[in-house]
Amino acid sequence: MIKIQDLHKKYGAKEVLKGINLTLQKGKIYGIVGENGAGKTTLFRCIAGLEKHQGSIKSDFMPLKNHLGFFPTNPYFFPKITGHEYLQLLCNARNIKVKDLDSKNIFDLPLQQYAITYSTGMKKKLALTALLLQHNDYFILDEPFNGVDIQSNIIITEIIQQLKTLNKIVLISSHIFSTLKTTCDEIHLLQNGLFTKSVQQADFEKLEREMIDVTIGNSIAQLELR
Amino acid sequence: MKYYFTLQFKMLNRKITEFGLPPILGYLLGCCAFIGLSWYLFMKIELANYIYSFLGLSFLSLLTDIKRNDFLKSCFSDNQYYQVRLIENLLLVLPFVAFLILKNNWSIALGMLIISGLSTFLRTNNSLQFSIPTPFYKNPFEFTVGLRKTFFIFIGAYVLTYIAISVDNFNLGAFALGVTCFTTFSFYAEPEEDFFVWTFSRTPASFLLQKIKIALLSLTLLCLPILVSLGIAFPQFWRVLLIFQSLGYLYLVAVLLAKYSAFPRKISVPQGFLLAFGVWLPPLLVFIIPFFYKKSIQQLKQIL
Repeated sequence: MIKIQDLHKKYGAKEVLKGINLTLQKGKIYGIVGENGAGKTTLFRCIAGLEKHQGSIKSDFMPLKNHLGFFPTNPYFFPKITGHEYLQLLCNARNIKVKDLDSKNIFDLPLQQYAITYSTGMKKKLALTALLLQHNDYFILDEPFNGVDIQSNIIITEIIQQLKTLNKIVLISSHIFSTLKTTCDEIHLLQNGLFTKSVQQADFEKLEREMIDVTIGNSIAQLELR
Repeated sequence: MKYYFTLQFKMLNRKITEFGLPPILGYLLGCCAFIGLSWYLFMKIELANYIYSFLGLSFLSLLTDIKRNDFLKSCFSDNQYYQVRLIENLLLVLPFVAFLILKNNWSIALGMLIISGLSTFLRTNNSLQFSIPTPFYKNPFEFTVGLRKTFFIFIGAYVLTYIAISVDNFNLGAFALGVTCFTTFSFYAEPEEDFFVWTFSRTPASFLLQKIKIALLSLTLLCLPILVSLGIAFPQFWRVLLIFQSLGYLYLVAVLLAKYSAFPRKISVPQGFLLAFGVWLPPLLVFIIPFFYKKSIQQLKQIL
C-alpha cells in the first residue's frame, strides 16, 4: 500500500499541488488524468522522492524509492551508452544480477546501438524494459503509451495487466483515455493541483464524456471554421 | 543572420552567468586562462605549434554535427548558411591563429585558416549506428561515455608512451600518464540527471564508495599499459611512477566528490577554486577530500 496524505508542493509562490490525498492498494492500477500543467508529473516526482514537498507519503516498503520503478515522460539517455549498457546500469543500481540481458529484450531493440540514436518509441521501450528488470514493487508510468507503435502498446498493456496479477501497484498517466480505460481500476482527475473526481471502472465512460464536454465546450465554434 | 549571432552571444552570456560569474569577468578570466595555457604549452613542449593547431582545429568538430547543420539549413538560405558556418569557424580558430602569429608561426596559422574555411562544407553524423567497445561493460557510465568521447586522446597517450620508450625519455612517458589521468577527471565534470542517482538503492556513503571504487579500478585499467611499459623500460623510476599514479587517484577522488558536493547543480566557482588549490598543492587534498565527502553526503541525502 502507498498512502499519500495532504501533499503540497510549491515552486516559489506558485502552489502546484494543493493537498493531495490518495491511497493506492496492492494489485491495482490507477490512472491519473489532467490537462497539461495540472501537476501530474510533479505529483509523480514527489511520490518518487525527487521533489521536496509537504505532507506524508508512506508505503509498505521503505524507503519507497528503492522499490519504485519511475518511468518519466521523456526518459533521459546518456550520449554514447548502448541499450545493453543502459539496462546493465539500471540493474546495477538495484543490485540485480541478470545473466543474459539479451534474452530479456522483448521489444527486439538494437541493444548494441547507442540508446540516444533510438526513436522516441524505442527509447520508451528500453526505459520500460529496464524498470521491469529491476523487479520493483511499485511503478509510476508517466505517459508510457505516447509515441509507441500499436504492437508495443499491446505488449505494454499486457505487461501492466501482468503486474496487476503479481500484486504490484501501478500508477499511470496518459492523454489517451482509451489506454487508461483498458488498463485501470480507478481513474483520478487532477485539476489545478487537486483531485476533483475519482471514478471506478463502471463510470469511466461517463467521465470520458464529461471531459469531452468540458474540454471542447464551444471553443471550436469560436474558431468559426469554414 | 545578425539575430542568430546576437542569440549565440546571449546564450554564451547565460552559460557564464549560470557558472556563477558576471559575463565580463568570465570573458576576462577565459582570455587570461587561454593566453596562460598557450604560453605554458609553448614553453614546455618542443613541437607545441603542431599540438596547438591540432587542438584548435579539433574544436571545429563541435560545429559539424549533422542535426545542428540541418537546423541551420532550415533557417537560412544556402548562401547565408555557408556564411554563418564560415564566420563561426573563423571565430573559433581566431584566438589560436592570433597566438600562432604572435609566435611567428605564420605558415601554420595560414594552414589553420584554410582548413577552417574548408570545413565550412563538412557535416558529420555523430549518431553512429555502431558503438566503440570499452572494457567497462560491467559498470557502464562515466568511464564508458568518457572513453568513447575522448578515445583519440588515449590513443595519443599510448603512442606517446611508445615514443618515450623509443627515444629513452621518461619525462615524455610521465607526461602521457598525466594526460591519461587528467582526461579521466573530465568524465566527472557534469552532474548527471537526478534520476540516475535516485535509482540507486544505496545510502549516500555506500553510493559514494561504490562510485570511488569503480572510478579507481577504471583509471587503473586505462593507465596500466603506460605504467607497465614505463615500469619495464625505466625500472629506476618506479617510485616516481607510483607517486604520479597515487596523485592521479587522489585527484580523481577529489573531482568525483566535488561533483556530488554540488549535486544536482554544477560545481560552483568557489568549489572549483578549492579543487584547483588541491591540484596545485596536493597536501591540501588531506583537507579538501574529507570536506567534499561531507558536503556530498549532505547533498545526496536529499535524493537517496
